[in-house]
Amino acid sequence: MEEIINSNGKLCEFLKKMIIDTLRLEDITPGDIENEASLFKDGLGLDSIDALELVVAIEKIFNIIIEDEDVGKKAFASVNALAVFIQDGYQRALKN
Amino acid sequence: MEFKHQRVIVTGATKGLGKAIALSFAQKGAWVAANYASDDQSAATTESELSSLTQKYLLLKADVTSKNDVDKMIKSVVDQWEHVDILVNNAGIIRDKLLMFLDEDDWDRVIDVNLKGTYLCSRTILKTMIARKFGRIINIASPSAFTGRAGQTNYSASKGGIISFTKSLSKEISRLGITVNAVSPGFISTPMTESLNQDIKCDLLSRISMRRLGQPEDIAEAVLFLASAKAGYITGQVLGVDGGLI
Repeated sequence: MEEIINSNGKLCEFLKKMIIDTLRLEDITPGDIENEASLFKDGLGLDSIDALELVVAIEKIFNIIIEDEDVGKKAFASVNALAVFIQDGYQRALKN
Repeated sequence: MEFKHQRVIVTGATKGLGKAIALSFAQKGAWVAANYASDDQSAATTESELSSLTQKYLLLKADVTSKNDVDKMIKSVVDQWEHVDILVNNAGIIRDKLLMFLDEDDWDRVIDVNLKGTYLCSRTILKTMIARKFGRIINIASPSAFTGRAGQTNYSASKGGIISFTKSLSKEISRLGITVNAVSPGFISTPMTESLNQDIKCDLLSRISMRRLGQPEDIAEAVLFLASAKAGYITGQVLGVDGGLI
């Protein structure tokens, strides 16, 4: 997992697969999701309840807790934003 | 054994309705985590009864109005049992007084135990249920929430809040495989109701279509039904178990 987290490219691919698996998105492949595209509304079209499932999945996989709705909104802005959020969280955990 | 290996938390589980619910789940094969606030004696009696029905039980002393206590309680269950399938928010108190004499502590305490306790336990349990895409949350309401009752502005407000909370939460999480419902128990035979004087008892009974008090097991059966696979398409509902009181 450390190798994946340390590579932005690998982490983004991992996150796309995680999103598809967690939300059971049929007919969507990782290649269909752009790194900078919005995950919500006009982008992938996820909603706030989908976000709940992703929050739980992120905590389970990365041990990073999202307790604040505003933090969640920024983290889930796009796959890239989520990758940066996870990398930051991972670095903070290492320092602690 | 309908609930074999299913993990259940019942709050306020060592007396009255909560105890009947906890024991009923144990009889049907569930792993039962029985929460209580402070009465160690009742807890010991309940533990003795639970242990005669199952080896898989936990006794959890925790104040449902305290986020810290609730976090620790649920973490303890998840650490030992991996997950929780069913949460019954039964913990509740009454402090009946006419509003003019109802002081802030009487108001706050009833709202905190009944409504905030339901919020804290439900919120904390969500992650384990969302992760497994399965859960049953059953809250205990009251006919007082619908009709009001003199002397119960605090209690009926808390139970009315529980009903709204039940419906709103069901709209949030039902599509994640978690149903959220409530049971509204009428007048139930308990040491307290049995000890009422004859005039009050007659008045109570005259308001009940079935002309008798309910039994704790009547409520337990309703809770178990809502927790069961048979109720898999029921969510956001309030099941009145009151002999036709309202």
